[in-house]
Amino acid sequence: MLTIGIDVGGTFTDLVAIDDTGRTIFAKSPSTPQDQSVGVMVGLEELARRLGLSREAMLGKTERIVHGTTVATNALLERKGAKVALLTTEGHRDVIEMREGLKGDRYNLRSSPPAPLVPRDLRFGVRERIGPQGEVIVPLDENALDEAVKAIRASGATSVALCFLHSYSNPAHEIAAAERLARELPEVDVSRSSDVLPQIKEFERVSTTIVNAYVGPAVRHYLTGLEQRLGAAGFTGSLFIILSHGGMAPVEEAWRLAAATVLSGPAGGISGSRRCAELLGVPDLVPFDMGGTSTDISLIADGRASLSADGGLADQRIALRSLDIASIAAGGGSIASIDASGAFRVGPESAGSVPGPACYGNGGSSPTVTDANLILGYLDATSFMGGRRPLDQRAAEAAIDRLADKLGLTREKAAAGVFRLVNLAMADGIRLMTLKRGVDPRHFALLSFGGAAGIHAAEVARELEMSRIIVPTEASVLSAWGMLTSDLRYEMSRTHYQSDDKSPEAQVRNMYAALEKQATDRLRAWFAGPIEIERSAEMRYGEQVFEVDVPLTDVDLNGSDLIEQIEGRFHRAHEDLYTYSLRDEEVVLVNGRAAAVGIVARAEDRIEPVTSAPAAAHKRRKAFFNNAWTEVDVYAAEKLNPGNVIHGPAIIEAETTTVIVNVGDRATVNARRWLDIKVATVQHAEKELALSA
Amino acid sequence: MNTDNDDTTIKPTPNVINTPARSAMKPTVDPITRSVVQHRLTSIVTEMGEAMLRTSYSQILNSSRDFSIAICDTSARLVAQADHIPIHVGALPWATRAVEERFNDIAPGDVVLLNDPYHGGSHLQDMTILVPIFDQGRRLFWTIVRAHLSDVGGATYGGYNPHASEIWQEGIRVPPIKIHEAGKRRDDIIDMLALNVRNPRDFHGDFAAMIGAAHLGERRLARLFEELGSAVVEEAIEMILDSAERRTRQIVSNWKDGIFRGEAFLDDDGRGRENIRIVAKVTKKGSDIAIDLSESDPQTSSFVNSSHANMQAAVVMAFAYLIDADIPKNAGALRPLKVTARKGTVVWSDPGLPVSFCTSHPSNEIIEAIVKAMSRCCPDRAMGGWGRRFRIAIQGENPRTGRQFIWHMFQARPGGGASSAGDGWSSIGEWHSVGGIKFGSVEVAEARFPLLFRHHEFLANSGGDGQFRGGLGVALDLEVRTEKPAIANTAGEGVRHGSCGLLGGSDGAPHRYSLVSPGRPPRELKTKDVGIEVLPGDWFEVRSAGGGGWGPPEQRSEQARREDRRLGFVN
Repeated sequence: MLTIGIDVGGTFTDLVAIDDTGRTIFAKSPSTPQDQSVGVMVGLEELARRLGLSREAMLGKTERIVHGTTVATNALLERKGAKVALLTTEGHRDVIEMREGLKGDRYNLRSSPPAPLVPRDLRFGVRERIGPQGEVIVPLDENALDEAVKAIRASGATSVALCFLHSYSNPAHEIAAAERLARELPEVDVSRSSDVLPQIKEFERVSTTIVNAYVGPAVRHYLTGLEQRLGAAGFTGSLFIILSHGGMAPVEEAWRLAAATVLSGPAGGISGSRRCAELLGVPDLVPFDMGGTSTDISLIADGRASLSADGGLADQRIALRSLDIASIAAGGGSIASIDASGAFRVGPESAGSVPGPACYGNGGSSPTVTDANLILGYLDATSFMGGRRPLDQRAAEAAIDRLADKLGLTREKAAAGVFRLVNLAMADGIRLMTLKRGVDPRHFALLSFGGAAGIHAAEVARELEMSRIIVPTEASVLSAWGMLTSDLRYEMSRTHYQSDDKSPEAQVRNMYAALEKQATDRLRAWFAGPIEIERSAEMRYGEQVFEVDVPLTDVDLNGSDLIEQIEGRFHRAHEDLYTYSLRDEEVVLVNGRAAAVGIVARAEDRIEPVTSAPAAAHKRRKAFFNNAWTEVDVYAAEKLNPGNVIHGPAIIEAETTTVIVNVGDRATVNARRWLDIKVATVQHAEKELALSA
Repeated sequence: MNTDNDDTTIKPTPNVINTPARSAMKPTVDPITRSVVQHRLTSIVTEMGEAMLRTSYSQILNSSRDFSIAICDTSARLVAQADHIPIHVGALPWATRAVEERFNDIAPGDVVLLNDPYHGGSHLQDMTILVPIFDQGRRLFWTIVRAHLSDVGGATYGGYNPHASEIWQEGIRVPPIKIHEAGKRRDDIIDMLALNVRNPRDFHGDFAAMIGAAHLGERRLARLFEELGSAVVEEAIEMILDSAERRTRQIVSNWKDGIFRGEAFLDDDGRGRENIRIVAKVTKKGSDIAIDLSESDPQTSSFVNSSHANMQAAVVMAFAYLIDADIPKNAGALRPLKVTARKGTVVWSDPGLPVSFCTSHPSNEIIEAIVKAMSRCCPDRAMGGWGRRFRIAIQGENPRTGRQFIWHMFQARPGGGASSAGDGWSSIGEWHSVGGIKFGSVEVAEARFPLLFRHHEFLANSGGDGQFRGGLGVALDLEVRTEKPAIANTAGEGVRHGSCGLLGGSDGAPHRYSLVSPGRPPRELKTKDVGIEVLPGDWFEVRSAGGGGWGPPEQRSEQARREDRRLGFVN
């Protein structure tokens, strides 16, 4: 049997198949933004070819396909979602546009407010009112509802967001309105806030519900279409969609909660990173996925990825739990420039894929990071992309020279400056992901993947004093691979109410027992394998309003000191994050959370014997290391064997990526053929340089 | 008339906000290291702010975000700030200077606190924590956290007391004091402070959060010194300040030279004195700007006076709104600016007078007068007036819990001003906070307080007309659902004077607040009132002000007018 992971990116659709023996096959095909399922089907064809099978034969023996999609992401970023109408409580139509009175970019008073996804003439109020305890203050006015339904029909809206005040405590009015809409406008999609996000705080609930209504039809259309195509092509297994929080859902659930798929794409990268952490036995990793125009940075701490509900996308607030991913608008295509004050910077402008860096020879003339990398000898004009895409050295030189003239620097100094600045931007992104949370990056290994990461990882690691870099062989398709290797997670959470009739320990125990049963039952409906339970609690001090999510999987639930154990963990977490704890203060357990984790039968890990034969360089070239040109060894990745050790400075070239081994650093090829790079400290590197000089 | 030589004006030196560049230091730090330091300082203050938001106790901090973060050096120069509440930021160097003048024995592990407006503070509600940053025995910087506490004692809850005639009626006064000495916390002093406020629990929680955030900054700066060496950091900072100055001067030098005047009015002082005038005389020459407020009206006997630091901050804010938003707000960017004012005026009151309203008013009028003056100097950069503050606080018994409650209204925010970039933001706030204060959730307010928000939507026709229209205010009908009578206070401005229209644009509609009580005639609310009786079932009809328009109304496009009507912004 096979399992297949599919990750649809901006440029390429990556596919990975794993068979029972652990054999892993990759394929790439161009993405088809108009209808992503076209590219997926072509990619499956290619994957089957590489497996030596027909597509039908391959799909016939595939038991599970896991898919990361950017359909919702793109609909939101490009503002190409459905025409949405909002049905809400009379007198409260403007919640979405008021944005709680908060404005970013504080000192820019000459800017226009962002246009809401639902303009005001598509926002309809209905006379009804429910209070915070769920009490009906004003009954739902059926005539007003009739009027609103008529107005929605006349407006031509194809999707309706339904959000009444306090519906989290009593959804009766929302349910009645949803039923009416289903009856009278059956062709229209309905997103109901008490279903999408049954939580207090109307701005977050209405915004999330509107996003759901906005991307829902596109996601539904795509996923049902894909399911049909797959079925017609012989697939009889289950199709799962990876969600923004890293869990998975069957197709129907994914389109019902479409707002939860906006980070479906990068979520696969995090799954892959988690799996890397597990295989390596290195629980603390910083996944660093650097591409052409943007870089995604996240955090795996103690084997776990961090989640938060503080995010959103494209100016829209989405208050669903999502993996914590920092996207930096910098990558290989970022443009270097000098601003009005003479400050030198890289990005945020990017040459994109069209025209691309100057060295692509497609008419780009702005100096980019990739041009600098070519000048510095890190990239080779003839062997880029396995020689399939030769680079224009002279165009890169001309672009960098213009920059060098303005800076009064030599060509290579200017290129080295571009290289340094982009590395700093990356390091800053990692600092925000780590230091912002009180996590010290020095205790983490940098997991380098995505096309451009390998060149920059060594310097980024050095900037952050990180001493280890891992480059998996799956680096270029890590997201698709990650979808196959991660377990099936189904999460439930609930607000913890403390009452006086039972001991606090018993109540916490009961809460987790109920959550675990619910999560297990839901997962059991579509998964037959073994299930494990993870739990955590969101906790805070007395009057704080933000919680810290404290892992509790290994606390002894039956211990008589259960509350003491839980509080102790919270105090320590608060100290780590914020420099202090308040030991005498009341600790509040706000939400309990449990995840049922379906343990996927994984293909056997393929470990090869490690030999100590020396690696053979296939050529040498000049590259700029530590402010000087140095003749360095260049290795072909596919010719390296487990056990090979490479001392920097050196360059390792693979078909889709290049990896720099810096002065003083040492790369070892491990039993899975991954590169495991030991990074020298700055002092150490300088000593090596002095010795070599 | 006064000049710089007049002994009641601020001397140009030592003027901490625009200290000249240090002696011609040869730049040896490369531009890349400079960028490293700049990025790092920004991420440090951002992270401190994040910690403050997440750990503080009171609603005004953890929901409305009324706090600010900065790093100053020991010459009290602003080195870095996080974008929180603009009116705080320009005041923090003055707090630093007050601390530097008070102590000559600052040691590692010390923590300094102050709030007194006549000793480096702005108004009593804003408490400021400063942690000294050392490297190898040298004292170099301060990490600073300023937060608006929910109560600081005094005659009324929350510190706004329209009836105060002297500062002692406004709350507890704290000059610069050490609350940690060499790492040891002075619990005795903290106990005394907690005893003087109405909600000691919030106070302790907020205080711990402030000190925690300042210490987080210390931890991060120590790491920066470890990496680069503090000498390199200091030198890089000189370059960062110089660069901000260059960018600012480049912008200012493109503006028209001349002397420009603008004025703005406070409605009243709450004691019968009306139309109190703030005058800004701006002299622009080359890349220098001199702002003189000394023609402003004499000080009042109520809380609408400004402290000195707050007046300086208001001027800095107006200037910051006119230059480019992405210029770092630091001492370098402010070097082209010179500020003159006269003691004894409403913008700089004599010691002992009440000032608790000053971060709102007269700050808003100071900014408005300057922006109006500048509208003839740099019209494309000047914006129509932002709203004025009109706050209601309600005190009563919550029938659900049987406990007393006090609620401050942040909803129904006024509209922002229009600008050359387009229409103003609706429901976004005042000149002094410009979208930095969040009003929070109506559902949460209803769950915690006996209130019913019957209606809370944009107020049609409230934005000032113009080529670009001012942002809209809000219509709020707020029912008070207590079982016993409650009491309300107000502290506000702007029922007489709307947000100013600019360059031909119209003023926004002013605030209109009233209390409707079945069986009684509606009561129009005054902006500065205490002891308003609210009976169960009464409701407030709040109609908040719109922003000022920009440019002549006849130049507004037909399409924009159609759109306004379609969306119901104008009818």
